Amino acid sequence: MKFVQRAVSLLALVGLCLTAAAPQAALAAGGRTITVATDATWPPMEMVDANKKIVGFDIDFMNAIAKEAGFTVKYKNTAWDGIFAGLSAGRYDAIISSVTITPERQKQYDFSDPYINIGQILVVPKTEGRVTRIADLVGKAVGAQIGTTGAFAIKKVNGVELKNYDEIGLAFEDMAAGRIAGVVCDEPTAAHYALQRAEYKAKFKIVGKPFTSESYGIVVKKGDKALVALLNKGIRAVKAKKIEDKLRKKWLR
Amino acid sequence: MTANDRTRPAIEVGDGAAIPSKSDIGLFTAWRFAFFGALGLIVYLALAKPDPYLEILKFIPDGLLVTFKVTVGAILLALVIGLVAGLGRISSNRFINGVASLYVEIIRGIPLLVQLFYIYYALGRFVHVPDMASAIIAMAFCYGAYMGEVFRAGIQSIPKGQMEAARSLGMTKGQAMLHVIIPQSIKVVLPPIGNEFIALLKDSSLVSILAVADVLRRGREFASESFTYFETYTVIALVYLIITLFFSKLIGIMEERISAGR
Repeated sequence: MKFVQRAVSLLALVGLCLTAAAPQAALAAGGRTITVATDATWPPMEMVDANKKIVGFDIDFMNAIAKEAGFTVKYKNTAWDGIFAGLSAGRYDAIISSVTITPERQKQYDFSDPYINIGQILVVPKTEGRVTRIADLVGKAVGAQIGTTGAFAIKKVNGVELKNYDEIGLAFEDMAAGRIAGVVCDEPTAAHYALQRAEYKAKFKIVGKPFTSESYGIVVKKGDKALVALLNKGIRAVKAKKIEDKLRKKWLR
Repeated sequence: MTANDRTRPAIEVGDGAAIPSKSDIGLFTAWRFAFFGALGLIVYLALAKPDPYLEILKFIPDGLLVTFKVTVGAILLALVIGLVAGLGRISSNRFINGVASLYVEIIRGIPLLVQLFYIYYALGRFVHVPDMASAIIAMAFCYGAYMGEVFRAGIQSIPKGQMEAARSLGMTKGQAMLHVIIPQSIKVVLPPIGNEFIALLKDSSLVSILAVADVLRRGREFASESFTYFETYTVIALVYLIITLFFSKLIGIMEERISAGR
């Protein structure tokens, strides 16, 4: 009997959820709904918070664009390794995930206008005294997330072993375990792990200034000109309204 | 039509065997088709479209070496762990039996991927083990449990009379185990151990999650830079297929040799 009661209440709950979702769907009908992939393992740009919600600078920025350009966004948390393949396969319309605009990527995909400039930076354990750049770590292993501009930067340095991780957090964890001598990633992410995380603050330090200058863009399928135009319209409006500065203060200090 | 009109009898009755032996089945066995098909396809792709296929093939050899090292290291360690666990499982000593059974039950209940993460990252906080070693240990720990069950089944398949006969000849329990039971059970356990080896070879691809640069990791690195996902994973799949087919044949030949020596 109890089982029946439970099943009935469960059904009622599902029904409630459906009816609750209906007005939202009607609301979205006004504009286009765009599915956006993000690899939410790159704090503070995109991450999953304690309530299992995807948050971060990129997410707020995307929401602001959507509001200005008049469309609805649906996020899809996707592993970085394969996030581009998923776009090619049509699993989503766009990627906002701290994607640096590079010539190689531009050959395969289209980008929106740049929305923020950032650089790659090196993080090492505090015990590594005299390290000022990646080349000082010759003979040692340096970690990065697979397929990121940080990984490409390490690969260019002769004599340094590149270790590719699925998520940048795993690279920092491995550095804490003493298996690698450095991690290269985007400056805001480096700051998040090296300066803000309680468990790493005493262990890691950021070395010098960013050694690259990169621009993030929103990625869409090659030839999706309409979506690029829509995104660019949103980005222009967001920049004009100085929303970007507010978001910088909120997420990047 | 008389019986004499038949040019060929329906059933051959003569000196030869009516049922063809394994090697007589013909040129087109499924194994040959798959193995040489995969090999041919990979060579064809590399020649017909060097970019990216040949580039991918040039990119992965050191990953192949890592895959071999992990597989061979893990299988050797797993054999030792498995033998100990298997003997423990049939031990009449309650404590040893309990510990071995607990190990087998726990390991078999946790996915290999979770074990890899656990041993590498969670235990990495307390003990600093190099990445390759911890990958091998994690794989061996997992497969040791399955091997333990293989050894247990193999030993238990030897009739009780063998042990009784050995004991009546004045052997101790240990001597009987070492000289009579285990040698006989090796024949029984060899095929399932071969299976475990192939399974471990395939599962070794999971260590790529630990930033260990095996074949899969090398492939993913290549794909993530060149965006040639289809081509890269086609090559990776073919490479794994060729290796596993090669080893399954090798194990098959070994089994035949051993059963022929019966």
